[in-house]
Formats: sequence, C-alpha cells, structure tokens
Amino acid sequence: MAPKAPTPEKGGKKTKQQSSASAGPVSSAPAPDTSTVKAEEVDDSSGPIYLVAKPLTPAEARREEIYYNVALFVITILSFFTRFYMLFHPDQVVFDEVHFGKFASYYLQGTYFFDVHPPFGKLLFALVGWLVGYDGAFLFDNIGDGYTHNKVPYLAYRALPALLGSLTVPVVFLTMKHSGYSLAACLVSAALVLFDNGHITQTRLILLDATLIFSMSCALYSYVKFMRYRNSPFSQKWWQWLLLTGLALACTISTKYVGAFTFFTIGLAVIIDLWNLLDIDNGLSLKQFAQHFFARAFALIAMPFMIYLFFFQVHFWVLNKSGPGDDFMSPEFQETLGDNELALLAKPINYYDTIAIKHKDTGAYLHSHSDRYPLRYDDGRISSQGQQVTGYPHKDANNNWVILPAAGFPENDRLGHPVNGGDIVQLYHVVTGTYLLTHDVASPYYPTNQEFTTVSPEDAAGPRHNDTLFEIRLSNGKKEQFRTKGGLFKLIHFPTKVAMWTHTKPLPDWAYRQQEVNGNKNAQQLSNTWLVDEIVDLKDDRMKVEKKKVKQLPFMKKWLELQIAMFRHNNALTSSHPYASLPPEWPFMLRGVSFWTQNDTRSQIYLVGNPLGWWFATSCLAVLSGVFVADQLTRRRRYYVLAENVRTRLYNSAGFFLLAWAAHYFPFYIMGRQLFLHHYLPAHLTSALVAGALLDFFYGNPGVFPVAYQAAAAASTKAAAKKGQVVESVVHRLQPPTMYPPSSLISYAVSGVIIGLIFGVYWFFKPFTYGDPGLSVPEVLMRKWMNFDLHFAK
Amino acid sequence: MASTSTKFSTLPAKDKAAILSITGLAVLVRLYKIWQPSSVVFDEVHFGGFASKYIKGRYFMDVHPPLAKLLITLAGYLAGYDGDFDFKDIGKDYIEAGVPYVAMRLLPATLGVLVIPLSFLTLKAYGCTSLTSSLGALLVLFENALTTQSRFILLDSPLVFFTALTAYAWANFQNQPAFRSSWYWYLFLTGLSLGATVSVKWVGLFTIAWVGVTTVTGLWHLLGDLSVSPKQYVKHFFWRAVFLIGVPVIFYMLMFGIHFICLVNPGDGDGFMSSEFQATLNNKKMVDTPADVAFGSHITIRHLNTQGGYLHSHDHLYPTGSKQQQITLYPHKDDNNLWLVENATEVDVDMRALPPVYLRDGDVIRLQHVSTNRRLHSHDLRPPVTEADWQNEVSAYGYKGFAGDANDNFRIEILESKSKPGKAQEYVRAIETKFRLVHTITGCVLFSHKVKLPSWAYEQQEVTCAKQGTLPNSIWYIEYNEHPTLPADAEKVNYPKVGFFKKFAELQSVMWETNAGLIASHTWDSRPEAWPYLRRGINFWVRDHKQVYLIGNIFIWWLSTAGLVIYALFKIVTILRWQRGYKDYSLPSVQAFDSTVGTNFVAWALHYFPFYLMKRQLFLHHYLPALYFAILGVVIAWDLFCKKVLRHRAIITAATIGILAIAVYTFVMLSPLAYAEPWTKYQCENAKLMKHWDFDCNVFPTDLSKYDSSHIANVSSVDGSVVEASSTATSSFQSAKDTIGEALPPRDEL
Repeated sequence: MAPKAPTPEKGGKKTKQQSSASAGPVSSAPAPDTSTVKAEEVDDSSGPIYLVAKPLTPAEARREEIYYNVALFVITILSFFTRFYMLFHPDQVVFDEVHFGKFASYYLQGTYFFDVHPPFGKLLFALVGWLVGYDGAFLFDNIGDGYTHNKVPYLAYRALPALLGSLTVPVVFLTMKHSGYSLAACLVSAALVLFDNGHITQTRLILLDATLIFSMSCALYSYVKFMRYRNSPFSQKWWQWLLLTGLALACTISTKYVGAFTFFTIGLAVIIDLWNLLDIDNGLSLKQFAQHFFARAFALIAMPFMIYLFFFQVHFWVLNKSGPGDDFMSPEFQETLGDNELALLAKPINYYDTIAIKHKDTGAYLHSHSDRYPLRYDDGRISSQGQQVTGYPHKDANNNWVILPAAGFPENDRLGHPVNGGDIVQLYHVVTGTYLLTHDVASPYYPTNQEFTTVSPEDAAGPRHNDTLFEIRLSNGKKEQFRTKGGLFKLIHFPTKVAMWTHTKPLPDWAYRQQEVNGNKNAQQLSNTWLVDEIVDLKDDRMKVEKKKVKQLPFMKKWLELQIAMFRHNNALTSSHPYASLPPEWPFMLRGVSFWTQNDTRSQIYLVGNPLGWWFATSCLAVLSGVFVADQLTRRRRYYVLAENVRTRLYNSAGFFLLAWAAHYFPFYIMGRQLFLHHYLPAHLTSALVAGALLDFFYGNPGVFPVAYQAAAAASTKAAAKKGQVVESVVHRLQPPTMYPPSSLISYAVSGVIIGLIFGVYWFFKPFTYGDPGLSVPEVLMRKWMNFDLHFAK
Repeated sequence: MASTSTKFSTLPAKDKAAILSITGLAVLVRLYKIWQPSSVVFDEVHFGGFASKYIKGRYFMDVHPPLAKLLITLAGYLAGYDGDFDFKDIGKDYIEAGVPYVAMRLLPATLGVLVIPLSFLTLKAYGCTSLTSSLGALLVLFENALTTQSRFILLDSPLVFFTALTAYAWANFQNQPAFRSSWYWYLFLTGLSLGATVSVKWVGLFTIAWVGVTTVTGLWHLLGDLSVSPKQYVKHFFWRAVFLIGVPVIFYMLMFGIHFICLVNPGDGDGFMSSEFQATLNNKKMVDTPADVAFGSHITIRHLNTQGGYLHSHDHLYPTGSKQQQITLYPHKDDNNLWLVENATEVDVDMRALPPVYLRDGDVIRLQHVSTNRRLHSHDLRPPVTEADWQNEVSAYGYKGFAGDANDNFRIEILESKSKPGKAQEYVRAIETKFRLVHTITGCVLFSHKVKLPSWAYEQQEVTCAKQGTLPNSIWYIEYNEHPTLPADAEKVNYPKVGFFKKFAELQSVMWETNAGLIASHTWDSRPEAWPYLRRGINFWVRDHKQVYLIGNIFIWWLSTAGLVIYALFKIVTILRWQRGYKDYSLPSVQAFDSTVGTNFVAWALHYFPFYLMKRQLFLHHYLPALYFAILGVVIAWDLFCKKVLRHRAIITAATIGILAIAVYTFVMLSPLAYAEPWTKYQCENAKLMKHWDFDCNVFPTDLSKYDSSHIANVSSVDGSVVEASSTATSSFQSAKDTIGEALPPRDEL
C-alpha cells in the first residue's frame, strides 16, 4: 500500500494542515503528539497556531527533484575527489595504520592476534588485501616505514576507507533530503562533512573510522527512511528499511564499540516511538502494539546481534594459526590454534613427578633453600624462623618439587596416577627433603598474608600434616587432568584457603633478594596463577613430542572468552598519549593529532577538523538547545511562540539529530580510556545535520514538509473504519504528501556564504590533510590556530 | 500533609514522650560499652591520626573535607588529648597511652543518637502517624551497620547525621507557605546542613544533587502556576539560590579556612602540594635564593606540572635499557638533588672559581650530579616503564674526571609565556624562569609524568626524554641556586605568597586527584551492586577472641530493598497504565504515595547509583546514606498502606510490633559484632545468615566460660598458635583501607 516512489503527485495535497499531528520524518508516531493534546488545555482560548504553506505544483515539484539530483551528483563527485586526491601520498605507514595494516596482514596470514576492536572493519581490509592477492608479509611495524619497497598494496587498502568516506557525504545529503529539508539545508549539511579536513584525513588512511562513520550514517539514514513509512506499518518498504537499519547498526558496532552510541540513539528514538504507539489515543490494541514491539526487537536487537556474532565466527575461521595474540587467551583457546606451542608441549602430570612450578605473571619459579627466615623483621614482627620459600627467576635444582598425593599410594603402585584438578596434594622439596606448608604467620612484607615455609617429613606426616595440604585449583574450574604449560592453576591451601602468590618486590639480603612467596587471602586475584613449567627428568613415554590434533571449542565459548578479554583490555587502555585529548575540547576544535611528518619536505599530516565548520556546527547545537529551552519555558507560561506544526517538526527531526549528537558525544565523558579527536567525528556528522535543520528553521519555508502518504493514510482510515473507530480522528492527521520544500532565496544566499567560507578554510588547511605541500615557517605559523601543535613551526 | 513545621516544641505531648523515650533508648543502645574495644579499630588509624595532626598542627593530606575531623579533634582536645598518640596500627592499645578515645568516639556516637529523633520528625513532616514515625525511628536505631559505624572515630556517622538533618529541613521546607519566616528558616537550615554534609565527605554532593533535582522540579511546577507572578517567581528563584548555593559554598570554604588555620607546620602531607603552598608552612619557608643562575652554580631543578619533586639521581643503576645510573624525581629535599651547571663547550674550566657568567635562553649546558659526578645523559633506548617509541631513557653517565660526551648536552629553552615577565624571560633565574631542557642530539625534551618506577627505584617518578611530550610535563624550574663567586648582595628571590583562595583551589584539585587515584583493591572493599542485599561486611577489628565486623541488620536491609523494588514496579505499572488511559493518578493516595515515597526513592537513587561511576575502592559503609533514605521511603509507604489498606488500629499496631520484633531480634543476634562482646563459635555460625559474610567464627571460643579465664590469649585451644594468629589477625588490618599510604611519597632509601 505504500507508494513505490516518493512522488509528490498523489492528489489530496490540497488538504489543509490542520491537525495537531505534524510528525516529521523521524517523528515518533503517526499519532498526534499526545503531549499536545494533553498539555494544551481546551479552555485555552488562544490555542496552538499552525503555519500553512502553499503546496507545490507538479511542475515545480519536478523541477525541485531535478535540482536535488543535480546537487547530489555534484557533491558525490566532489566527495570522491576530496577523498581520493593524492591517495598514494605518503607511501609510508601513517599513525594507526601501524595497527590496522598489521591486523590485515595477520588475517591474510591466518595468525591469531588480539585487539580491542571487533572484527568487521579489520576484516574488510583483509578482504581488500585478499582480493588484490596480497600475502600479508609486511607487518607495519613503525610509523614511517616505506610501502613501495615493501610491495604493500597500500593504495588498495586506502581505497576502501576513501570509498566509504566518499559515500558518507551523499548519505548525509539523502538523510537531510528524506527528512524533508530544503535543498539549501541539505547542501549545508553535506558541505560540512564534504569539506571537513578531519573527516577527509581520517577516512583516507587505513583506519577503522571510515567504516564506522559510514555505517553509522547509513543507520541514521535508514531509520529516517523507515519512519517515513510509519503510516504503513509492516509493509514491504517498512520492513526493508527497518531491517536495513538493523544491518547498518550491526556493522557500526562490529567496527568499533563506540557504535553502541548509535544503538543508543536509535534505541531512544524507538522507545519514544513505541511509547507513543502505546498511547491509548492512538487506537492500537495491545496485540498490535506487541507486533510493533517484537518487529523492532527482532530487527534492531536480535538480528544485529546475530550479525555481530557472525563476524566473530569469520574472525575465528580466518585466524586458525598460532600468533601474537595467543597469550591473551586461555590454554583451551590456544589449543584450537594450529602450531600452538602450548598444545605441542603440554604434558600430563602424574603423582610422584618432579616438577618446576612457575608464576604466570612474574615468571619466577617456586624455590626453597636451606636458609631460614630471620626471627625478627625490621618492623619488629616475628617470623616462624622456618625454611625460606621464595620465587627465583632462573632454573635451579632448588626449584624441583615432587607432587605427592595427600593420602599416598602403596610403594609398588606409584607410577601412572594422573593428578587432576581439585586434587589435594603435598609438595616435597627435593634438595632439602622438606614439605611445603603455609600457616597463620604473617609473611615478611605483607602482614595480611600468610608465610610460606617448609617442614620436615616427620612434621609433615604428623602434627603439621593438615598444613601441608594444598588443592590444585585449575583456572578453568575443571577437574580434568593436570598438565604442564597449559594447566594454569592456583595453589589453594586446604585448611586456610589462601592462595600461593608472589610479587616482584625482592626480599632483603637474607633471602638473596629473591621474590617473596606468601599466601594471599584474596584467592580470587588473577595474579595468584601459576603453571607447571616442566616435568624434570621425564623418562616415560610422555617424553615424545607428538603433533597433536588441533582441538575444537564451541563458538559461543570462544566468543565469550574473547569478548571478556577485549573489555578487560579496553578498560586498561588508560596510559597517556601525547596527542590524546578530552571531550570538552572537541566541539571547539582546540587541538589536533599529528599523524605523520617528513623533515626534508617539511610536510606533515595533522588531523584537524575544519575549524570554521566545527564552530559553526557547535554554535548551531547551542542555538537549537536554546530554542528548545526557550520554547519549554514560554509554553510553561502559556505563551505559544512557535507555530504548532513547526514546533513538532523541530522537536521530531532536529531534536532527533540533537539527540544523536548528545548520544555520540556525552558518553565519552565517563570513559576512562585515552581519547582522541577522531572520536568526535560521528558526533560532528550529527551536528552537521542539526546545522542544516536549523538553517531551514530560520530561513526555510517551514510550513511545507513531507509527512505521510495519502495512500497510506487512506488505508489506515479504511482499517480504522472497519474496526468501527471514529474515522475522523485518522483523517484528521492526514498531511499533504508534499516533498521538497522549496528553498527561499535568502536560505540559498545564507547557505552559499556558509559553504563558501567552509570551503575556503578547508583549502587553507589542505596541506595538513593531504600531507602536501610542505610549508614554510610563516605558512605554518599562519595556520597555528587555537592550540594546534603543528610541526615545522620553527 | 501537615502545613506546619515538625518542631519538637510544637508536637503534641504524646509525640514528645515518644521522641524522648526513643532517644533515651538510642542512648542506651548506641553508647553501650562505648569504651570497648580499648584499642584502635579500622579507620580510626586515619581519623584518630588526623586528630593528632590537627592538635600538633602538622600538615596532612586527606581525601575528605575537614568538618568531621575537626569535630573529632575538638572532642579530643576538650578531653585533654595532647596529640602524642600515632594511631599507627589497628589494635594498638589506647588505655596505656592515655588517649581520651572515649570522648572522641562520643562525638560520632552522639550524632548517631541524634539521627533517631531526626528520623521521627522527618517522618512526621511527611505526614506519617506517630506510630509509624516511631517505627521508622526504631528501625534506624536497630540498624547494626549504623550502630557499628557510629561507635568509632569514623566520618560516616557525622555524614549520616548531616544528611538526615538535610532531609528533615527539606521535608519541612516543602510544607511551609512561601516567604513566611519559617519558610526562610527551613531553607536556610537546608543550605547549612548541605554545607555541613559536603564538608564531611564529598559524597555529600549526592545530597546536594537530590536537593537540586527536587528544587528544579519544584521551580518547574511553580513556573507552570500562572498565579505566581514573574516577580514572585524571581523571588522564589533568588532565595533558593542564596540559601542552597551561597550558604553551602560559604560554609564549605569556612571549614577549609579553619583547616588551614589549624595546620601551620610541615607534615607528611607536604609532598602533595605545590612548592608555593609548602612555602606557607612554618619551617618550610624557603630561604631566599640568589636569582641569577650562572655556569658553575649548584642548583636543584623542580618539575612544574607534577608534585614529583626534584630532578634526582642516586648510586643505583637501571636494571633495564642502558643499565646506567637512575634518574628520577624525588619529592623531598636531599643532597642527591644537587646539580652542577657546566658549559657544554668548556667542561674543563672550573666555573665555580670564575666570576659568574649568567645562563641565557639557548645556552647549551651539561648537568653534573654533584654527589656521584655523573652527568645527565640521554640516548636512543626505551625508558624502563614507558616503552613508547617517542620516549628515550635518561640516565646519569660518566665518572669523576670524565669530560662527558655529546649525549650530555642539553639546550635551555625559556618559556616566555610561563616565566615572570622581564629579566626572567631572557636569563635563567631561580623560581621565576620556567624552561625546557632540549637534548641537542636527538631533539627530545626532558620530561616527567605521573608514572612510578618499580621498587628498584624506590617507586620514585620516572624521568624520560620525550620527542612528543606534552608541554606541561616538560617544564622545569630552578628552586635552589648557589654560586661561590656571586656577590653577597646579589638579588634574591623566593616563591610568591599564596592567599586562601589559591590554597583552597589547589587543595581541592589535589584531593580530587588523590581520590581518583585510590583504585588499588582492598581486602574488604565491595562494589555497589553487592550493597542492597548485604552481600558482605567489613572486618574492623579482631583481638582476644572478640571481633568488630561491620554488617547491617539484614532484615531492615532487605525490607528497604524490597520496598525500593516494589516502588519501582509500582511506578512502571502506573506509568504504563496512564499511557493506556487508566486514571490511577487522579487518586489522591496514589499522588501522595508518588510524591512522598518518590522523593525518598530519588534520594536513595542519587545516593546509590553514582557509585557505579566511581572507579575508586568502595566499601559497604558508603551505602549508609542511601540506606537511610530507603528506610524512610519504606516506612512512608507502610504508613500509607496502614491508612488505606489495613485501617484497623489493632491490626496496624500488631503488624508494627511484629516488624519491630523481627528487627530487634536480628539486631540482637548480630550485636556482638558491633560491640565486640563475647560470643561463641556456635552462636557466630548460627548468625552467619549468608555464605558471603566473612567474619571469622574461628576467633570465638566454643564456650563462653572461656572468657572468664584471665589467660585466655594463651590457653585457648581454638587454634594451636594463638600468638601467631593474633599477630597476623590484628596486623592484618594494618594496611586496612590505606587511603593515604597509597599516595604518600615513597621514602628514598639513600
């Protein structure tokens, strides 16, 4: 029932706009704004007012369509030109190409790596490399490494972000167009992205942001399109755009986790939409509402999640060999990778084996020697004066311990009994002939932790027996066979439940500055993890190194483990970087990021947004917020300044863009990790949309805008009539299907000036965007705006 | 709702009697054996210690504002405490040292008692009956965590008290007709108690947020009320701003004024503050130093941006990189901070014997470490901790008589914008000139940042040479300057004087940074998600088979949480029903429920959820203000339930008594942990209602008669090695919540 194309000529355009429902393209509901109905008391004699504009004639509409298409064509061409210009320069590794180029190479080689970003964006690069037949031999080790002599197909790599970056501009244009803004407004929004030095710099290098921003803009665009079909729910077009929104969202979050902000934006809009659908005045039954709810839940949550998982599945399929990321994963995971050292060397441990136990974090071996703890420590505390147990980093006979069962096997039946996770064992120190023990005496450095020492066999068999018992608690919590290398474990003291632990602070000279080993009461800590490095003097058939079959793990298990490791690692990215910046600086474009420099030509690539464009967009955000606040305050006092339909549209469309901006910006404030200017680019794109919307608000022809289609409206009227509802209330909401509000002359003039100025500033900063040409000192100084810390200023 | 204020004097006699008897009961319950235990408990280590430092006037740094600490000090001072006890370890004996600890504990305890009548009056202000108001006050009284926390020298009892005072004043303010004298009074009282709350702990900001949110919604409603003229509206707005912003700010700053007046001597907190700040303390005033720096001068060089201190070296080598001598930042004055300025081109000439040649912008110098004769040196190796490409290691290299090499050369670049205008922008002058040191060969800049070196460098701050370092971290200046041939009447300089506002601002930012840096995990810390269901407590003190363990009254705790959940569900359901056209909201009882319970629910949420954003270590007692509001909310809801549903007086009384009985029973069951009373292992294990409660039942004997034995510490058969056990157990809290120890400047072992 929905029209195939949004042609304007479908009759009924003469219907006066008189309803209170004037939802914009991204408005929340086909229903009248309930707040309007509820808030505007009927007794208010002045009442809301409506602006009505003269609709277009068919000829005018056709002409408008042509204008839009020509403009779209021109900006697309310009977009490709600005992004692809001098793509080959520099033929060196620039900034974070170090990472993402490297990851592409790892994919091509199939070697496992670990990164905090989800795989989609990186897989795309790998796909490009695979398509041009690259083998991934170059590992992008340092910024400034040459591409040409290393034979890296870097142009193909860079063509991908440049392509996506170029396509972002027309998507912005179309988003504005289908939100019903005038051509002048569409052009301003598109130009703010088109001539933005920041977007260009970031989207022509081997970085993830082009994919992120393109997917994110597609998500916004699809949702805007979807909302255009809100009056014909469950139609084919409705489903199509809803599913495309979900797909775009999935790609966004599968590129970088900041894509969650896009989810948040769409999610909030959907919640508001559903909230209005729930409104009793809207006439939907709860069953119909449930259909709406589940359709969105499927398309915007369930399906994107499946797609997200799918990318991880591809990630695991491709990366099937051991690589630099192995150490981030558990032993089980590592054994699913080919050529993994762990899988190769791990040996099952039996009772009565002599083993060397190694601390995972510090690499020290569990060690003991005949020296004893001093009676008194410097702080006056007293020790047990037992034999010292320390951590020692080198191989030594004093690292040898025999693993014994708590109960013991008969003399003649000691071989071949496997040690399992959860077993209670004793550890016998071979050289001094004593047993490992811990007890309720404070350790040398930590009054909170228990001292580790050893006792004689008599004590170990007699009065102190219980204190010599330890549980082998495997890190995976399983009761399986205990193995060397892979079998990470905690040694939990059986009676007191402390975990054996060591740290790097060396003990004083009485312990030869070896590491302290003590019992940590917080057994949960990951730093309590140990592993058996080797079985000393292994003689039986376990000696043979046999090539083991690569194991399999269920996908969900691998995914969950990786996901947890990624989040843990992401939160740990708190170290400082010289060009890191903080969110409050971004909207004002105070400082950029140095990407690349070349001394002999005095050229540099410096990520900086088009300052004028950013300041303009930011001031638009402030103005729009001001308009909202002023509107709320005046209405509270019963002054109706804005025409009702203009107001609704401002809230539903410009308000949506403002919401998108806030959702892509403010969450950064609570992020602990290091942040960079490029994190603002998605927010900048939404601020460009706000700028266009505001231009129309002030200079456009606000009374005319597209809303529902006549056909859809008629259909819903019919449906309503069938159910015996008051038909009038539906008809009431019908809007003329006018597309293309004509731009007023003044809006063309204003947008022309804005675009001209933005283009000028873009041109001015162009040398930093393309890294060419090099500039003289005065030329650099001239561009040293705000706190730009440019190179070659001296 | 009552339109009058709930002041004690205006209450009916029945209520007066109720308040008096409940307060009397509170005195008995809260002050019972307050002298027990007679040794340092948990964070008394800190807050008792601060009292000592206040009395001695020794400057210290703490992450909490001063009000409660000042009050505790006052109590101790009035009781004749001389500040000689150091509160160093948990379990350290008070009696022998003659510390008036009971007087000091009485301060939080008294405030804890006063919360009880306050909660009664607050509930009355929300329109509750006398019976339910009494119930609410008694639930607050028989809350084990509030009881335990208020019995020791800790800040949370003052915090809860001032929070409760705010809640009382604010609830009454809502009931007053606008612009009457009582209206002004309650508004003022709200502002004052807000100021006090935030002057005890910064979590008082949550209370301010609550008052702020309710004020904004109140003003929003007023704005829609067309009977309020714009002029009146401005008046509403103005007085709220004055009392709710002006008064707290002035009060807060006043507390810091007193803080600075009390702390006039140097102490262990100096290292946190800037040199200008430190120069305001007695004895720490720096001697005037000659202004002009010359080749041959002995100087100390300070890092401007961090409080890491002086450029330092000592006779220890890096275990990594070049394995040459370490260069660090060291916060204290020390001979190892002393450097000799040499002219890079004339190293052989003894500049100390010649007339001074002043250092200018652009001069290339070498810095020789005076005590080891090694020179500041940099080369293309990664630093020990920050292994970034753009960072180079800085070391001390050479030996006596060695002429040095080109890697020792640094060029002085004066930063004009940061230096004092005039001569200091051309010549290098002590204190006034801020400069960078550029390594001439590699072009990197001497740099330091808040990264600690490992223990092999005594956890001093890392110094590197950075090619892309941020400017603030690359700025240095000279503090001490000496040259033998400078004339005696040479111009001298010193730090500029700093006034109160500058000191105040600096201390705020240092407190903030220190607070944010408290991220190390602690044995007894917990996360916010564990608090509402009382997953686990805090071990405060163990000794002589007795224990103090902070744990809440699980019945009250769960009751309040259940109330919150029910309220949230109620709210969701009514909103959804409203959207579907049901008219619940036209019922006055629903509206009343929504506003009175709702405001306490909001208060709870604002005192609870912000903790999720905090990365620092958190403890169960951080939940106490939120718990207070949760109890108020649930009691108000109970009141409405009684009025609307139960109705019959007998039923209501019986139900109230039933609730109270369970609460008191639970309280008594867990009370030995609050009072450090004798207990048996069996009783202890029975009281362990949740498996995560980790008080140690093994410390208690199997039989109460064991406590009668005077040799209990030695003869106990509970655990074989008592001496050892107590040595671990008591000292196990030595590092308990070591808020300051974490951040204290490390000691140089040289």
